[in-house]
Order: sequence, then C-alpha cells, then structure tokens
Amino acid sequence: MGRISGLVPSRFLTLLAHLVVVITLFWSRDSNILACLPLRFTPEEYGKQDTQLVVALSVTLGLFAVELAGFLSGVSMFNSTQSLISIGAHCSASVALSFFIFERWECTTYCVLPAVTEMALFVAVFGLKKKPF
Amino acid sequence: MELPDPVRQRLGNFSRTVFSDSSRTGPEYSEGPDNEMVSSLALQMSLYFNTYFFPLWWVSCIMMLYIKYSVLPDYYKFIVITVIILITLIEAIRLYLGYMGNLQEKVPELAGFWLLSLLLQLPLILFLLLNEGLINLPLEKAIHIIFTIFLTFQVVAAFLTLKKMVNQLAVRFHLQDFDRLSANRGDVGRMRSSIEEI
Repeated sequence: MGRISGLVPSRFLTLLAHLVVVITLFWSRDSNILACLPLRFTPEEYGKQDTQLVVALSVTLGLFAVELAGFLSGVSMFNSTQSLISIGAHCSASVALSFFIFERWECTTYCVLPAVTEMALFVAVFGLKKKPF
Repeated sequence: MELPDPVRQRLGNFSRTVFSDSSRTGPEYSEGPDNEMVSSLALQMSLYFNTYFFPLWWVSCIMMLYIKYSVLPDYYKFIVITVIILITLIEAIRLYLGYMGNLQEKVPELAGFWLLSLLLQLPLILFLLLNEGLINLPLEKAIHIIFTIFLTFQVVAAFLTLKKMVNQLAVRFHLQDFDRLSANRGDVGRMRSSIEEI
C-alpha cells in the first residue's frame, strides 16, 4: 500500500458505530420485546423473549471481540479487500439495527442481518490468518 | 508549539522521581543500546483512533443533552455543560501532548499527557458515566463506556512507555560519563607521552 488512505479510520469508525448501537440495544430492548409479544402476555413469555434477545446480543458482542482482535492486532488492518467488506457489512448492520430500534421491529428480525454479516467477517478474519503473506 | 520551560522542568523532575528504577545501581547490560526506539505502537494506535472517535463522542453527547435538557434539574444543567466544555478543552491539549510526547520521545510532554488523562479526564468521564442523577440515555452510556476504555488503556500504556523512556535516558546519561572518562584518559595519555619526550 502506497499512501495512507482513509480506509483504516473509516473501518474503525464503522466498527465502533456498530458496537455503540449494539450496546445501546442492551439497555433499550424493552420496546422491541413488547413489539414481538402478543397483546396479552404473561411475565414468563416476556422473560423468555428477553433472554433470547440478550443471548443474541451477547453472541454479537463475542463476534465483535474476534473482529476487533483481528483488526487491532494488525492481522487484517491493511488488507483493502477485507476492509471494504468490513466497512460495507458494518454500515448496513448499523443502519439495520438503528431501524430495528426506532421502528420497533420484531425480535426475530434481529438475528438475521447482523448475524449474517458478522459470520461473514468472522470467516474472513480467520481465513486471512491462514493466508501466507 | 512547545510546552513553556518551567512546566517542562517540573514535569521532567516529576518523571524522574516516579518512573525511574531506583533499585539498580548502574546500567544493566541486558538493556538495549541507547539508540533503541521507545515510542510505543499501542499508545500511538490508541491515540490515533481516539482522535477519530472524539468528534463522534462529542456530537452524540451534545445531541443527547439537547434531548434531555428540559428534564434535568437546574444545577445539573450547569454542571453537565461545564463538564462537557472542560472535557473538550482538555482532550484537545491531551491528544496534542500525547502525539508530541510519543512520536518525538519527549518525556515532559508524555508525562503531561499521562497526568491529564489520569487526574482530569478519568474522573470527569467517570462522573458523566456513573452519576445516576444525570438521566443517562443508553446511547450516552455506550459512548462513555468506550471513551473510558480508551482512557484506561492510554493511562496504562503511557505509564509503561514513560518508564522505558526515563530508564533509557538514565542509561544514556551513564554512558555519557564513560565517554567523558575515556576522553579524559586520552588527554592524560597525551600529556604523559609529551612529558616523556621532554
């Protein structure tokens, strides 16, 4: 890589924005859980949905930790392809999650898009380590 | 732009007392030569990313404050605005000192950066994060947590870097002594040979 492009800071900022939205979701998951319960619900159902969402959020945080470790240790920091994939995926995930919060989508929608993008990045980070330099 | 001289002297004295290894009597030869680089990569990375994170933090903080301004009690309004202004000013100075101190391996600047982070920024940001009466919205909690993580990491990394820097300065100072001694011996040798000639 010749000159220092803006790829590294943009990747970092999108990663961080996605992380901020996920952490925010931890504290404001109330209205989302209410959206996916029927009109009359019992506290057990509420607890069940709550637990599901918390587990999904924790898995997301774990995958985040892997990607951050790969990025900050420099393994995948300067690979342009991976950075572009990462920026695109995290951008779309952040926007989707923000809509999830604002528009109070249903609980199942959470698992689909961000998890898919995270799995793709997870594979990419590990795949990169096996690639000989 | 440099720190004024009296400030540099005080910070230099402070660093020597706090960071040097006083348990050793002389330079150990297991240390690297005195032309080794002591700028810290981890610290520089965290400073670089902190510079990019700070506008994001600032915009989110001001937006959240605007939303909850009318519900805050009067004294908290004044306190929060003062704290945010202070953090902004100190952050600008702190990041500049960190860059100068780390990249140019200057001890007083880095010590100033360490003190500002530990004694001013950390308490202010912990106040914003942990005070219950400030009605922290979830977004604020998230960004304050990330800022606190940055600050903690920088405090630890700067401490280790300062230790290495001060010890390297001490090694360089002792090696200077040897240079002077060998220069003097060279003079004495020349005097003796000229006396023998006579």
